[in-house]
Amino acid sequence: MTTTPMTAIETEDRRQYRATRRRDFAVDLSMALATILAALAIGFLVMLATGNDPIRAYEAMLTGPLDRSFRVGRWLEDATTLTLLGLSVAIPFRARQISLGAESQVYAGALAAATVAIFLPLPPVFAVIVPMAAAAAAGAGMGLVPGSMKARLGANEIVATLMLNAIVVRVYDYLVNGPLKESGSSAVHSKNIQPDSALTPLTDWFGVPLGRANIGLGVMLLTAVALWLLLTRTPLGYRIRMTGANPDFAAYGGIRVPRVIEWSFVIGGAVAGLAGAHLVQGVYGRLEPGLAGSLAFEGIVVALLARNNPLVVVVAGLFYSYLRAGGDIMEQQTDVGTEIVVVIQAVIVLLVTAQALPNLLKRRIARKQVGIR
Amino acid sequence: MNEPWGKDGPAVAARGVTKTYANGVRAVRAVDLEVPPGEIRAVVGENGAGKSTLMKMFYGLEQPSAGEILVGGRPRVLRGPASAIALGVGMVHQNLMLVPSFTVAQNVVLGVEPGRRGLVDPKAAVETTARLAEESGLTVDPRARVDEVSVGMRQRTEILKALHRRARVLILDEPTAVLTPQETEDLFAAVRRLRDGGMTVLFISHKLREVREISDKVSVMRAGSLVGTVATADATERSLAAMMVGRDMSLDVDRTPARPTGTTLRVRGLGYETPIGQCLHGLDFDVAAGEIVGVAGIEGNGQSELAEILAGLRRPTGGTVHIDGTDTAGLDVAGHRRAGIGYVPEDRLHNGAALDASIADNLVVDRHDRPPLARHGVLHPGALRAHADRLIDQYAIRTPDPSVPVRALSGGNMQKVIVARELSAGPRLLIASQVTRGVDIGAMRFMYERLVAARDEGAAVLLISADLTELLALSDRLLVLKDGRLVARFDDTTGLTEKRVGLYMLGVEEHDRDRLTAHLDDPWEEAP
Repeated sequence: MTTTPMTAIETEDRRQYRATRRRDFAVDLSMALATILAALAIGFLVMLATGNDPIRAYEAMLTGPLDRSFRVGRWLEDATTLTLLGLSVAIPFRARQISLGAESQVYAGALAAATVAIFLPLPPVFAVIVPMAAAAAAGAGMGLVPGSMKARLGANEIVATLMLNAIVVRVYDYLVNGPLKESGSSAVHSKNIQPDSALTPLTDWFGVPLGRANIGLGVMLLTAVALWLLLTRTPLGYRIRMTGANPDFAAYGGIRVPRVIEWSFVIGGAVAGLAGAHLVQGVYGRLEPGLAGSLAFEGIVVALLARNNPLVVVVAGLFYSYLRAGGDIMEQQTDVGTEIVVVIQAVIVLLVTAQALPNLLKRRIARKQVGIR
Repeated sequence: MNEPWGKDGPAVAARGVTKTYANGVRAVRAVDLEVPPGEIRAVVGENGAGKSTLMKMFYGLEQPSAGEILVGGRPRVLRGPASAIALGVGMVHQNLMLVPSFTVAQNVVLGVEPGRRGLVDPKAAVETTARLAEESGLTVDPRARVDEVSVGMRQRTEILKALHRRARVLILDEPTAVLTPQETEDLFAAVRRLRDGGMTVLFISHKLREVREISDKVSVMRAGSLVGTVATADATERSLAAMMVGRDMSLDVDRTPARPTGTTLRVRGLGYETPIGQCLHGLDFDVAAGEIVGVAGIEGNGQSELAEILAGLRRPTGGTVHIDGTDTAGLDVAGHRRAGIGYVPEDRLHNGAALDASIADNLVVDRHDRPPLARHGVLHPGALRAHADRLIDQYAIRTPDPSVPVRALSGGNMQKVIVARELSAGPRLLIASQVTRGVDIGAMRFMYERLVAARDEGAAVLLISADLTELLALSDRLLVLKDGRLVARFDDTTGLTEKRVGLYMLGVEEHDRDRLTAHLDDPWEEAP
């Protein structure tokens, strides 16, 4: 209602306003921690109810990933892919486009990176960069298809991206089982990439075994910063934010909304393509069936948790991967299965996406202050 | 049905009523209000003064946080509109709430249908409606479908609906906003007749002139509190306005005669075909630099379409539009803006602002990709902030910080953000659509001064408004739109009355084509 008076904020002076903002931030932060604790508590009760030892299980889950250096490596390697995929959907989400196309984009990226890295002989540094660029381009292309369909033809982007996923995943399976399968091998996978194309493992840098973690981690961090700068420091980012905030307003202001929508899909697709390159050049060293697992959709969760802020996506991705890694260790060391991790993740997602708790708390604080005055 | 009313005492009353919303905003503070039966009581106040909230509490849409509501002399707990209606309280909202595909009679009896065994007796419905209309003097056609009748008749239908439910207290929330002067007079006559029959009427309005005409007493609210209640006979518009804003304030704008120079906007044969909304037919008019041209008309007669075509948001299907000689055909919105068009849209919540974005971001939507804000593809937050600080200062936008989301601003303040953006672009043509809708009197005066200042600096201003008082106060020339056609053109607005313009708005009178196109170079030839 326009008639609802909302003049309270105008009467505050700047200092008070900043104090309110700091308070809101503190509330947000402490609520995020409280949410995690609540989720862990629920997991605790579930384990008790199913007759397991929750303390031992949590010990394995929460300290496990940091126990040995190679476990740290597994966590970081997983987080790199997951965060890139989270970033890839965060950009269309900011333009209010519900893109579920990370899956098709990551597989297209993996195919492009592998094809170049296996078959195209290149000088050392180029051998790393060119496949990555090819992957980003392939991912961007996979983004452009549903993006244009939405922007120019008015197709529903959810349907378009899901259908494209179905097609690309089948094509990928066919290629890995057929033309690209390593001849003479009984297992289904492609030939290995040329050694020069591999992303340098972090083990080489730190001198401790860090598993398959590689400098893709650095690429991921740079990408997050670049996307943050894109959103906050460039005209295109402004256009993406305004299109997401109110597309009618953007159009009224002279912004070409269809073009912005296309760009948001293309940029997101390129980032998902990089995730594919990371899987091929950094993690597996070849194409394998289903190499992205469920990461494409967990990326959506990560983006939602981070409210589509690229820098927060990094934190959310690291945290979410930590839970995944911890769950695996818990399964190995105790009788508790990884299902409990799924329960914890689900509770966190429910609480955070509902956003009910922080808003309730802020309102209560605001009411109390009015009462005091 | 109705719980018994007390023998005497006020028809409705509030005792120490306070309403605090969940977000901590206190909309109504310790209000004591008593309205005796058979009185027309006007409740006036600026936007956000709390008058709508108070009325919602009488109608059960909101519950007081403290204090009590009395209906029929007794304290009541109104859990919802249903309990208010059962007690005889009816409310006619600003946005009429009728079923468009039903007839007038069906809407009137909706919920309390005559008939037996679950069947509705359509004949009885029509008869009941006709009888109520006769008694109250609210003329309606009971058999007409609601989506085919005028806004005035829809409103009368709403009132009849309340009468059918035996309302003894009628709350009218800004009833005249959608009416022509003639329809307003008819409404007032009917309301007086209802009052003489014992009805208590609460009349919410911005328009002090109408309040003086219709009410017995006036209660003034400011910032959630009741400032006072005065007998209408003892009040002047000026004294009421002073009570509303807490200081002396008038809406009279000092306006020197316009000194128009060359033609800025040249519209010839403008046509627009659309399956939904209003079509436009062969519009010919000019707006010169340095003049304000008003566009009057009952809402929905093509004003929105005209404004959006001129702003580049819709494409015309015929005719030409030139801005200072630039043909705007084929230009996109950004192209229109480059040609020098500024546009204050009629619905600021729909496309005038991005509510969740900051004030600073809202101020730059048309210039975010140019120096000084952006250089070499990089947007400078410092420049953005400086730009926002400057406009906040120049346009007196009340806010603690440019990073405040626009959603947190009041109507008038939000409109200032939009006007600040459009005027600071230095437009050659400013299209101002419903520029003071839902803003308080202080902001209204501010808008008026800015529009006149823009005119004096050489902008052509096309002022579209549903408020005739505003149009006559500001316009140097006036055009009237009816059914998508220009039907009147007044090149001199001095001495022009609202009533006279109203005749053209209703289509009772019409200027001939020679007068409409007088002194236009090369008017469009009408298709044979």
